[in-house]
Amino acid sequence: MIELAIIATLPLLLAVEGELIVQRAGMINLGIEGMLLTAALTTVLFGFAGGIAGALLIALLFGFFTIRVGADQIVIGTAINLFALGITGFIYREWNAQIVGVTSNINSTAIAIAAWIVIPIALALMLWRTNFGLRLRACGENPEAVRASGHSVAMLRWSALIIEALLVGTAGAALARTGFAENMSAGRGYIALSIVIFGRWKVKGVLLGSALFGAAAVVQYALQAASRGVQFHLLLAVPYVVTLLILCGIAGRVRAPEALGKS
Amino acid sequence: MKRALAAVAASIALLWIVGITSGHPDLLRILASGSIGSTFAIEGTLLKSVPLLLTGLAVVVAFRAGVWNIGGEGQFIAGALAAFIAAPLGVVIAILASMLAGALWASIASLMRVWRNAPEVLTTILLNFIGIELLGYCVNGPLQEEGGRYPESDTVAASLPQLGVLHAGIALAVIAAIAAWWLIYRTKEGLRLRATGFNPSAAHYAGISVNAQIARAMAISGGVAGLAGGIELLGVTHRLFERFAAGYGYSGIAVALLAQLHPLATIAAAAFFGALVTGAGELQRAANISSSVATFGQAIVILLLIMRRKTT
Repeated sequence: MIELAIIATLPLLLAVEGELIVQRAGMINLGIEGMLLTAALTTVLFGFAGGIAGALLIALLFGFFTIRVGADQIVIGTAINLFALGITGFIYREWNAQIVGVTSNINSTAIAIAAWIVIPIALALMLWRTNFGLRLRACGENPEAVRASGHSVAMLRWSALIIEALLVGTAGAALARTGFAENMSAGRGYIALSIVIFGRWKVKGVLLGSALFGAAAVVQYALQAASRGVQFHLLLAVPYVVTLLILCGIAGRVRAPEALGKS
Repeated sequence: MKRALAAVAASIALLWIVGITSGHPDLLRILASGSIGSTFAIEGTLLKSVPLLLTGLAVVVAFRAGVWNIGGEGQFIAGALAAFIAAPLGVVIAILASMLAGALWASIASLMRVWRNAPEVLTTILLNFIGIELLGYCVNGPLQEEGGRYPESDTVAASLPQLGVLHAGIALAVIAAIAAWWLIYRTKEGLRLRATGFNPSAAHYAGISVNAQIARAMAISGGVAGLAGGIELLGVTHRLFERFAAGYGYSGIAVALLAQLHPLATIAAAAFFGALVTGAGELQRAANISSSVATFGQAIVILLLIMRRKTT
């Protein structure tokens, strides 16, 4: 049961880690939902590397419009989600015969160890112990200061996006473990976004958040299996309510990156 | 106006190219005949346009005041739930209840912003999820149909006056668009609302209470999204079920952008997306092409519009 929960939570956890990095760099990537969905499809089509490439493609789209063109991140994120939902649905139905039954053939154990142990440590070290991490966080707090010190905010944000794409690409492979289905990301990207807030933009916090969401999912399956379907919807709402309270500073203090969402 | 038309034309051209390259040269023809080619098709387009028009208007009102309301999905659900509960008291009460519930649901986000400085971009998304789970609870629990077998409600106790499959909500939606135009361009409230969105600090120095203005704009926005949910329930589905909202809240953002945040242009934008969605349904039935090309079309329109706005 626990093993199942750990593996089932992998796509979410990897997505959360990716979103943490970009939000620390001052971007809200709502398009992570579409990125995850695209990566799941391209994994099934072209294997693990294909999943990464699919996620990079979406990152490129998001970065072009938000960093290069300077468009609103929320609008672009929404557009990307519609785009990914449309195009993956279309391709899936067109190439159905080639895709049905194809699974991503990944080593779940290796990815589990990476996602729960190696990557969090690496991310924490990178964010808090390197100059690169310091500059990345500065992009989220005060981009002007980064510019004044002679560094390129655009380059730093692009690197954050690329790291996110690598993580979300892997998440897509983990998601497509049992094959692809239309809209199979099913809101995980948005949930990842709320877990980043729930975890107060800290590595430890987002690990705890992902674990709680994973546990909630297991309890949900158990309740469904026991055909006590009524309560699990209310149970599923609890993490969102808690996240709202956290945002309001009621359940502990929180401070979002100062320049989050501003171009 | 020109820009919007250019984006629409370009997205149609792209859909044509998608059709050609994927071996469906008649994609556009089916799309057109499925959305405006017959009385039946036109009725379908009209029905789909109504929720899109209202959620689009909801986004327009909030954006004009400079706030992000991406909570249309949750407000839509809140409106439908309230309409269902209030329906035994009559259809007018049910409609009013849907607006009130949508306004209250949106006001949670604006109160959190005003009091605790919580960004509405995040709170409205979270409220969407809470709304979806609340609906899931209701149709599996207190509001489940009598037999207790399916995750859906019984038929709602009241319904909008109908003419064939069309319903009075179409008129309500158009009236809402005109009212929003009048509010934004012809009243003092609208002037303050636009000033707040245009430059909050200037508005503040001009004596406008920015927080109160934002709260009112969010309440109106939520009320309109709630109305969309109420009308969809009382005019089209007549039942509640788990996937009731079907993404209308998010599509409203695309509608509002295509309309370039103008309330009257929202009518045309909603009609276009309504036609796209309806035609895509026909694509799936007649030619086995995924109906998700409609979603793809919406995305392309947004991206093209934004590219042109910033580079020219």
